[in-house]
Amino acid sequence: MRYVKLYIHFLRFSFSKAMQFRVDFFFRVFMDIVFYLVQFLFFNVLYLHTNTLGGWNLEQMSIFIAGYIFIDALNMTLFSTNCWWFPFYINRGDLDYYLTKPVSSLFFLSLREFAANSFLNLLIAIGLLTYMLQTYSAPLSAGTVVIYVFLLIVGTFLYHLLHLLFLLSVFWTGSPRGFGDVYFAGVHVLERPDRIFKGFTRFVFLYILPFSIMASYPARFLFNENPIEVLITIGLITTAFFCITLFVWKRGLKVYSSASS
Amino acid sequence: MIEVKNLSKTFKVHTKEPGFIGSVKSLFSRKYIHKEALKNINLQINDGEIIGLIGSNGAGKTTLTKILSGIIHPTNGEVSVLGFDPWQRDNRYREQMALIMGQKAQLWWDLPALDGFLLLKEIYQIPEAQFNKSLDYLSECLMIKDQLKVQVRKLSLGERMKVELMAALLHNPKVVFLDEPTIGLDLTAQKAVREFIKQYRKEFNPIMILTSHYMEDIEELCERVVIMKEGSFIYDGSLNEIKQQFAKTRLIKASLNQSPDNIESLKASLALDDSSITISDNEIAIHSPREKVMEYSAKLLNTCSIKDLSIQEEDIGEIIETIMREGKAQ
Repeated sequence: MRYVKLYIHFLRFSFSKAMQFRVDFFFRVFMDIVFYLVQFLFFNVLYLHTNTLGGWNLEQMSIFIAGYIFIDALNMTLFSTNCWWFPFYINRGDLDYYLTKPVSSLFFLSLREFAANSFLNLLIAIGLLTYMLQTYSAPLSAGTVVIYVFLLIVGTFLYHLLHLLFLLSVFWTGSPRGFGDVYFAGVHVLERPDRIFKGFTRFVFLYILPFSIMASYPARFLFNENPIEVLITIGLITTAFFCITLFVWKRGLKVYSSASS
Repeated sequence: MIEVKNLSKTFKVHTKEPGFIGSVKSLFSRKYIHKEALKNINLQINDGEIIGLIGSNGAGKTTLTKILSGIIHPTNGEVSVLGFDPWQRDNRYREQMALIMGQKAQLWWDLPALDGFLLLKEIYQIPEAQFNKSLDYLSECLMIKDQLKVQVRKLSLGERMKVELMAALLHNPKVVFLDEPTIGLDLTAQKAVREFIKQYRKEFNPIMILTSHYMEDIEELCERVVIMKEGSFIYDGSLNEIKQQFAKTRLIKASLNQSPDNIESLKASLALDDSSITISDNEIAIHSPREKVMEYSAKLLNTCSIKDLSIQEEDIGEIIETIMREGKAQ
């Protein structure tokens, strides 16, 4: 519970900071609404030519889109700003102070900045998702919806883990780019239904760079497509990547020599 | 207690020839040099003791501090601080330790110091009553009570150092690493920080390791000093002993009532064979061996008509500089 209290402090700090920049605050919200509209428009155009994509009809696809928009917004709100700073902390030796504190340094580095100006987007994303779920023609039980939302949150966590994993390369390469950019290419995979990938590509996007798991698998659970298998896969992959990230982090710290002052 | 045995640290640094061609070359084949930052260091510091760590830039002071505080891993050797291996980063250790780096801030730039303190209260799980007590005590000692609600970036450098000190000491650590806490501060602020550390030590008596380039810091706060050069200790002992051992001469200065008529004959009549003597106008300066100070002063008083006489110790900063330059002691 101590970490919850710490996080409340982060929240308080971040909100008071964000409110200082009003124009930036509203501009970001506006940009993201445009981005969301484009997403829906893109798939609506595709469905003018076909009835199903990756096994889903337009109605299901709309839920899927709302799902990954939710993941994107949640990630932007909680993790994204922190990830942006991450390489700087390492290269400039700012990690020093974090390492001397009796709390998890990764917790600190991942969550210290809450992006208050993305928070409004998160509310919009939640609104979108609620609307799509409510207008879905097949019946959905409350329990299924709750687990679905939980799986989206797990997906966001996995998304962050993968980002961290790429960023951790900075311990060895010293450069904040390079590997980090591979991650941004993966974002596009997240925004496509997993079944459009076949063979080796599919294997990679499910198990090596599991971008296809994050949004597609929760949607599959919702649409009752092998729900047990979906749950197990999400659980195993997320746990595995959590352990890998921790392992690489510890190795990285051994290499970390910290810029001398 | 801090115990360090045969500690070494080697950094691997890659070199690059200058210019664009050099950059391209280094992309494909890299030359590494191994930089020995610490060489076979042995050190023991008892509870409640404070030591001053001196040495020129790159001597290994910061590396040693970072190893002791658990930030970096040593290459070889054993270290135990309060019974812990620092780089295991055990929370029980980190709760009892504080690191203050004069060149790096830990408080959040955009927020008032008090907000940062509240976060630290959570991090170290300091009970409310103890937190308030520490806060009152520290802010009073540092005379910074009115500045705690001001954004850190709007504070002066001196005030910022004071709030950094507060931040580091709120949890009442048993071991404190102070890495150049007075760097860049004006004389008044330096003095305030020194006075504070002195008072804090009296009250709480933690183990302290103080790194500083300002001799006043070391002289006023530390009885024991460790001098480092190129990764090794070249002196570990009391500050007084340095004076005893290395300050071989004292300076006798005298003002005469009138200028001597003949400088050479005055020198001859004083007959101070093993001292250097300079006479200009009505000032005489004699670098005398310590044991002969009395004798020479008496001679001076007998020979000349003297208005004023003073005997000065050699400047400790200069002595240490000489030791560091020559690299020999112990």
